[in-house]
Amino acid sequence: MRFVEEFRDAELGRVLAGEILAAVDPDRHYKLMEVCGGHTHAIYKYGIDELLPENVELVHGPGCPVCVIPMGRVDDGIAVARNEEVIFTCFGDMMRVPGSEQSLIEAKAEGADIRMVYSPLDALRLAKANPDREVVFFAIGFETTAPSTALTLKRARAEGVENFSCICNHVTIVPPLRALLDSPDLRLDGFIGPGHVSTVVGARPFEFIPADYGKPVVISGFEPLDVLQSVLMILRQLGEGRSEVENQYTRVVPYEGNLRALQVMAEVFELRPHFEWRGLGFISQSALKLSEAYADLDAERRFQTPGVRVADPKACQCGEVLKGVIKPWECKVFGTACTPEHAIGTCMVSPEGACAAYYNYGRFAREREVA
Amino acid sequence: MDGQIPRCDHTTGCITCGDEADAMRVLEVDAESSLARCVDAAGRTGEVEIALVEPVAVGERLLVHAGTAIGRDAESTEAAA
Repeated sequence: MRFVEEFRDAELGRVLAGEILAAVDPDRHYKLMEVCGGHTHAIYKYGIDELLPENVELVHGPGCPVCVIPMGRVDDGIAVARNEEVIFTCFGDMMRVPGSEQSLIEAKAEGADIRMVYSPLDALRLAKANPDREVVFFAIGFETTAPSTALTLKRARAEGVENFSCICNHVTIVPPLRALLDSPDLRLDGFIGPGHVSTVVGARPFEFIPADYGKPVVISGFEPLDVLQSVLMILRQLGEGRSEVENQYTRVVPYEGNLRALQVMAEVFELRPHFEWRGLGFISQSALKLSEAYADLDAERRFQTPGVRVADPKACQCGEVLKGVIKPWECKVFGTACTPEHAIGTCMVSPEGACAAYYNYGRFAREREVA
Repeated sequence: MDGQIPRCDHTTGCITCGDEADAMRVLEVDAESSLARCVDAAGRTGEVEIALVEPVAVGERLLVHAGTAIGRDAESTEAAA
């Protein structure tokens, strides 16, 4: 298929791998973070890590929206879903994320009407088809997904659909990146920037990384050659002593983003003062809630939620994995007590999660690293 | 119990929950309702919200995430023009 096959060309991949080898300083260790779960997935699906020199290490960032959902928010969702009049809707991965007592799929097995949807628009259609029920959409995702929720809420308002509401868990990418950069236990040399978040927000929000921290950022596509080229671009910046935001994914990402999407988000959402991220703790202004103008469509106002903070299971080291401090196989429960079928930590639930990517592509046989 | 819901496909990743969007080609446009019928590489069709990228033309490739087009493939747009 055009626009895809060109970016999977094995011969070009080998050429790029050679250029990467030529660009590295053999006496230096490079630690690059791919922010987005989609990149983590591509890296292991295509074996990109195997093509890189040993001194170029890829660490996995917090860019999987399922993985960063804290257990307390899952509990809030389940509490709403248990209301008899409610049809509770969410994306597929969300259903298996463990709450403090159970997951949404377990609550469904006990009788709650919980349904998987592929888009917020599907949830709105469900509301129109069931006017005697309350349809609640459990919204998750970064700026890639938030415009979709915003447009659906606008559509619900315009069409007068009163039995539709939303629990908003949308998060924003810049605050956790700043938190990671401020983290004393993490030394990163550069970032593979999130391609599709950038389609919405553009490249400008990442300019603080070279400006304040002196690290290069290259916004990258998701095909194997995209990722390899982005790694090369970062290494060249480092080699030349430059640090700037570069856009490898120009065929899709405009530097200024999608202004209409940003406008719709600004109308429907406002920043929460703080929000808890799984494993990263509370981060200021890192998530969205419905603005006052859309408060009547906020399910957290329509229904009672416990709103209780729940500590992560002790055995789970998702926090360290999300910060790139440890590799998934270094977690004590990886591949033993915690598997995609019986996940303890969220990183194992979503295929975008670093642990699931390692597990599903056979990266569980390596020896554990000793700190 | 997992069998009760379709599992996300680990070979292709999760287009709804992750940060990744999927390229879809426009088959039919309903400009009045800002919706378009689109097809993905696997031949699956679906209704896509196009308010953020309008106007769109039949044959263009859009970047679709969670049922909403968030961008377009610049090269395909040039090719369709």
